[in-house]
Amino acid sequence: MYSEGAPGRLVRALNRRRSLVFFSLLGVYSALLAIQVLSHRRLLAPTAYVYLYFFTVVFFIGVIPFYRNRRLTSYYWKRTKRSWPAILGLAFIIFLVLLALIGPFFTQDPTAHVFKERNLPPVGLSIEQNTFDLATGKFATVVTPGTWKHPLGTDSDGADMLAMLVSGARISLQVGLLATGIAIFIGSVLGVLSAYMGRWIDNVLMRFTDIMLTFPFFLLLVFIVYIFGANLWIIIGVIGLTGWPGTARLVRSEALSLRTRDFILASRALGASHARIVFRHLIPNTASLIIVISTLSIPGNILAEAGLSFIGLGDPSKASWGRILNAGQNSLETAWWVAVEPGVMLLFTVLAFNFLGDGLRDAFDPRSEA
Amino acid sequence: MKAYIIKRLIYTIIIAWGVLTVTFLLLRVAPGSPADKYLANVGARARNPSEVVAAIEARYGLNKPIQEQYFDYVTHVVRGDWGWSLSTSMPVTELIKRHWVYSFQIVLISSVLSTIVGILVGVIAAVRQRTLVDYLATFFSFVGISLPSFWLGIMLILLFSVKLGWFKTYYDTGVPLVSVANLKQLVLPAAVLTIGQVAGWARYVRSSILDNLRQDFVTAARAKGLPEGTVIRRHVFRNSMLGIATILLAEIGGVVFAGAYFTEIIFGIPGLGRISFNAVFADDYAVVVAVIFIGAFIVLITNLLQDLAYAYIDPRIRYV
Repeated sequence: MYSEGAPGRLVRALNRRRSLVFFSLLGVYSALLAIQVLSHRRLLAPTAYVYLYFFTVVFFIGVIPFYRNRRLTSYYWKRTKRSWPAILGLAFIIFLVLLALIGPFFTQDPTAHVFKERNLPPVGLSIEQNTFDLATGKFATVVTPGTWKHPLGTDSDGADMLAMLVSGARISLQVGLLATGIAIFIGSVLGVLSAYMGRWIDNVLMRFTDIMLTFPFFLLLVFIVYIFGANLWIIIGVIGLTGWPGTARLVRSEALSLRTRDFILASRALGASHARIVFRHLIPNTASLIIVISTLSIPGNILAEAGLSFIGLGDPSKASWGRILNAGQNSLETAWWVAVEPGVMLLFTVLAFNFLGDGLRDAFDPRSEA
Repeated sequence: MKAYIIKRLIYTIIIAWGVLTVTFLLLRVAPGSPADKYLANVGARARNPSEVVAAIEARYGLNKPIQEQYFDYVTHVVRGDWGWSLSTSMPVTELIKRHWVYSFQIVLISSVLSTIVGILVGVIAAVRQRTLVDYLATFFSFVGISLPSFWLGIMLILLFSVKLGWFKTYYDTGVPLVSVANLKQLVLPAAVLTIGQVAGWARYVRSSILDNLRQDFVTAARAKGLPEGTVIRRHVFRNSMLGIATILLAEIGGVVFAGAYFTEIIFGIPGLGRISFNAVFADDYAVVVAVIFIGAFIVLITNLLQDLAYAYIDPRIRYV
């Protein structure tokens, strides 16, 4: 992965000071956070820190190695392109990200309830409703068609389905990306450390990983949410802090085989420090594996949040897909679309990440092709 | 082998102890005293809430030093004294005794069904690799593992109960357990659990059979002129079954239990998942904790059995 192309001057300058820039950026965020906590002054929204850390780490560890090595990246891309499910998956993920980012500007307020527009079907469909007509004082069967004002219909409280689905996409992506990011980061660092340090550190870390692997975490998640109350950030944190053991194991075995390779030996012979070998050679070389694991573990985390919201333990302030589904179950007879739509989104999202992950795995690792 | 068993046993005990300790710590660092949870149930009607809290704390030993509370807690759980369910007014153990069978029946039915169907689909897909059958099986198992079980359940209710009216939308506990009527109302919940598992099984079995098909002993068996059916049945299938048999346990422990949790909630089956769900909303924390213990211990025990079965079948494992 480290045969260099012909990078421009800016790239070369950035390369030379990459670790410096990376760690000073993280340092700046931490300093800001410390100031904010100590002085009780609000410099940035708390969620902004999560995003800053997340995107910095993703950029420096996930994007730069691929950018530096465009020849190999284009080779991977060519191999990924061969699998049409992977491309479909990628297209849907891009659509979802756009929906979550710019969708809220175009949709209505997902929390607005309009009593008169309850149970409206999606556009193109119409349902028969029994309503009490105040003017005549009789029950009458009214055929209600869907309107373009609410293209996907409304729920039994009169909230716009499209707006709620867009807001749900936001939550699912937040959980999927951030929780997975935390888990993958911890897992990769521990896995590489374990493989590189060997001996008792490896032993201790891997025994701990074994224990974490068998710990029933969904139940723990239910329990923690039950005790501390439902908050999206608690859910993300718990999923992130408990989801790393599988990654740690896979990354460790990959790093173990890398450790004995000649280029590591060579850089050690040249006097490279442990930190340099770990951060410049081991972690970037496991990047392709890490990307595959991340893509394949996103669906599980999205489903964990959706399941939690579905059983009523999700963040009550957010219209997550699981929560809409829960409401939809109670209005199956009057408004079936409320239960159908979020589930379709959830299914497509999970399928998209699974398809993309499978395609990437085949592209990155020729051995796995059956 | 003995050393391996002892090692696994020690692990299991450590994790079980970990589950106990983590739940204890979580209950203690939770905002408010655990007595507040009782208060929400009983004391809210009292004239003097702080007096009630003090009485509750004294009764449940919450005013003792923390290490003593911890010790009491662990000994109680180990002895099987799991507290009192306030929302149903009976000991938690009694509540569980009345309801476990409802969970057990769907887990049993769906495990048996999905194992048989899943293995069949997996074997056929592998043997007919790169045919339409294989592509269909692979595609549907992919969709199957991506289907959220709770949504699948709702869709089945919508289609078969609401639109077609073939099944009741709610589980009727008045029906005797061993009866046709009970089987009929278990069709949809069992289908939800089965579909997800069949997909998992089919994928696993298919890749395992394909792995074995590439081995030299298969070429040898074919070379000596065995019919293809015999090669598959006697050589490939048996070798794959070694690995597959051990997965079965983990599957029942982890996947089925979690799936059953959602399925019971959707279909209103009064099993352990449903009572825990009700307990969360009734703030009946003894029941919530008890169901978490049971779930954790089922996962632990099946994991232990899986490891032991694996070591028994494949001697190489013991020396790792």
